[in-house]
Amino acid sequence: MGLREHPPVVAENLGKKYSRGWALRDCTLQIPAGRIVALVGPNGAGKSTLMGMITGLLRPTSGRITVFGDVPNGRGMHAAVAFLTQAKPLYPQFTVAETLRYGESSNPGWDQAYAEELVRKAQVPFAAKVGTLSGGQRTRVALALALGKRPRLLMLDEPLADLDPLARETVLRTLVEECRTQGITVLLSSHVLAELEGVCDHLVLLTDGRVRLVGDVDELLRAHAGQPGLERLSQLALSYLRQAEEGRAA
Amino acid sequence: MIWTVWRQQRPVFITLATGLVVAAAAILLLRAGMVADLHAGNIVDCVRRSMESCRGEAARDFQKTWYDLIHIAQVVVIVVPALIGVFIGAPLFAREFEQGTHVLAFTQSVSRTRWMATKFLVAAFPALLFVAVLQLLVRSWVNAAGELGPLAGGPYYFTTFEAQGVSPIAYTLFAYTLGVFVGALFKRTLVAITLTLGVFVAVRGALALRREDVVEPIRVLSNDLTDPYAAVERGQVVVGTGFLDAKGAVVADPSAAKTKCVPNAPIEVSVEDRTACWQQNGLARSFRDVLPIDQATTVHLLEASIFAGLAVLFVLGSVWAVRRQV
Repeated sequence: MGLREHPPVVAENLGKKYSRGWALRDCTLQIPAGRIVALVGPNGAGKSTLMGMITGLLRPTSGRITVFGDVPNGRGMHAAVAFLTQAKPLYPQFTVAETLRYGESSNPGWDQAYAEELVRKAQVPFAAKVGTLSGGQRTRVALALALGKRPRLLMLDEPLADLDPLARETVLRTLVEECRTQGITVLLSSHVLAELEGVCDHLVLLTDGRVRLVGDVDELLRAHAGQPGLERLSQLALSYLRQAEEGRAA
Repeated sequence: MIWTVWRQQRPVFITLATGLVVAAAAILLLRAGMVADLHAGNIVDCVRRSMESCRGEAARDFQKTWYDLIHIAQVVVIVVPALIGVFIGAPLFAREFEQGTHVLAFTQSVSRTRWMATKFLVAAFPALLFVAVLQLLVRSWVNAAGELGPLAGGPYYFTTFEAQGVSPIAYTLFAYTLGVFVGALFKRTLVAITLTLGVFVAVRGALALRREDVVEPIRVLSNDLTDPYAAVERGQVVVGTGFLDAKGAVVADPSAAKTKCVPNAPIEVSVEDRTACWQQNGLARSFRDVLPIDQATTVHLLEASIFAGLAVLFVLGSVWAVRRQV
């Protein structure tokens, strides 16, 4: 069976327990190929935990997860996956050019010309040390590093959180353009709902470590059609978040 | 991958290279100055063997000037492995975990094991080279001083023992792998540095104290009862002394015999008279248990193999620590 036939991510009853309690429970979902998936939920809902288990950095306490058919392990992340966290870790003492060279030496499928083009589009100087870049520039370099390995699944954990509104808009637009044209599946977590509007075509909504709502945005909106105040993705998500909040209070 | 590690460790490599150039220049200059002193004092022959004529003023002055300096050089060779463990081994993975850059490394296509092995080897090689070259430089200086320097203390003398043979490389491997392991295990640079230093000093100390226990001492006999170093060669370590009776058995309590020979009045007793009195009281011959000099190499290899074994364990532990999922 070829890799292409496996969906990017399949989770069955996936759970992760830390010493302070369950971060994710009974999570069953499938990330369909070629979509831009919004992973939405309040802080502590389990978004980063889910992504951590997809990368193999975290080990599931219960259940099962596969990434393109393989079970993530501690030997290394699946080669077809790229991951960008909010912290966007890069070696601060490296220059931008050296960072790209790092990507080249650590990824067999590296596309140097493409990565350079992304950096050039972002107008980040190649000779600058990464530690001296602004938040927006750093994000663009991290994105070039993630896309340069030519992934089939790109995961972004709160990638826009520390950017100003203008940079958010530019980064998000670049991201969507690149991924749409290349058919990359994107899993994007954010708690800024408005941002995901018009960008994402699939939604996974987590609250308190459980999946509350999952499905294609079109279908979800159709299912809730006619209900006032639920005409938009952000309104729909917000109403579910509110329900969960009220459920906890009660 | 090799390039990446080289780039990351570049400040460390520059420090090592600079340190080596400075150390080499200093040692070669000092050595040249010392050799000039040997010629000026006309004591060149004293380097190869100690003679009566080497107890003179010239030799004393020479030792006053040079002995401590050579000693310090040996101590540097002993200290460098600990520094390598603390400053190169401990931060190797701990800093990645601390700065979160391990996420970057773990989310590239190369496996964690390969990333780890590359980092481990590329960072270790220059450090080991540094130790080896420094050891050879210091050794050439120590040899040039010969019997007028620390070598007079024999191969078991602690700075001489620990600064030569396979020992410095074995200590370096131990310190480096220890640092790497605790760094990968605890993921905190400061914790790793503290633990590396503590464990290194404790293990090194404990094994150094045991060093003389592993050698089978040989017993040298002498008819000279009064000289405490009778029949002992220069550089041999005396680990036990005593007396034998006429039948060749060890005298259990020689002080009882000696007490009988202490005169009642405060008068000077000649060595001959005292020897005769001791012999009458059953002390036929004196003996000393010494560590044979030719066993030093065996002790070096034995100690090194213990450290190498520990290093292997630490490497396996590091692989486990880096590949574990939380």
